[in-house]
Amino acid sequence: MADNSFRDFCSGPQRDRRNQRRIMLWTFLWACSFVAVTLGIKRQWLPLGGALAGVIATSLLGVVTVLAYRRFLNETDELRRKIEVEALALAFGIGLFGGLSYWLLELSGAVPAKGFVWIFLVMIITHPVAVLIGLRRYS
Amino acid sequence: MKNRLKVLRAERDWSQADLAHRLEVSRQTVNAIETGKYDPSLPLAFRISRVFAQSIEEIFDPEESR
Repeated sequence: MADNSFRDFCSGPQRDRRNQRRIMLWTFLWACSFVAVTLGIKRQWLPLGGALAGVIATSLLGVVTVLAYRRFLNETDELRRKIEVEALALAFGIGLFGGLSYWLLELSGAVPAKGFVWIFLVMIITHPVAVLIGLRRYS
Repeated sequence: MKNRLKVLRAERDWSQADLAHRLEVSRQTVNAIETGKYDPSLPLAFRISRVFAQSIEEIFDPEESR
């Protein structure tokens, strides 16, 4: 049978596609806000009040993104929900245990300090990869 | 868990997409159930039972398929 994992990742019932578009929109807005506030703070374009307002706005966009994802999880079909939850568990596990292991290595001086941010990047990449693997396993 | 989903679907000349539409799930879910890779939840099993107008026991056999 042909491998339809990627097509299934992008398709699904119309309800899922609508919810996925919402997640992408809010994630995009959150990312734009995050980049803008980061640059504003680092390059000192923003005064303290503006930086705080930017952090609050970015956090609110993050909350809305999480709510959009929760809506997707609640409304999607049960197999997709299982795949998403397994992928979230993997990403969370890597973030928690990988992060703590990295912290221990940092304490021992084996790895550079402030490398912690890479754990978040690994978490962000782990989730969609785990979803694709899950879709492939069940297709 | 073994099931007769594929046979019942074929008897009605439905595609996986047709059945998925009737059950309000994705085509992939129907395929995963048919191939025994995924066991449906009780609410979905009841929907399948209603769609085919047969009891759950007539459609699903608890014997392991893998």
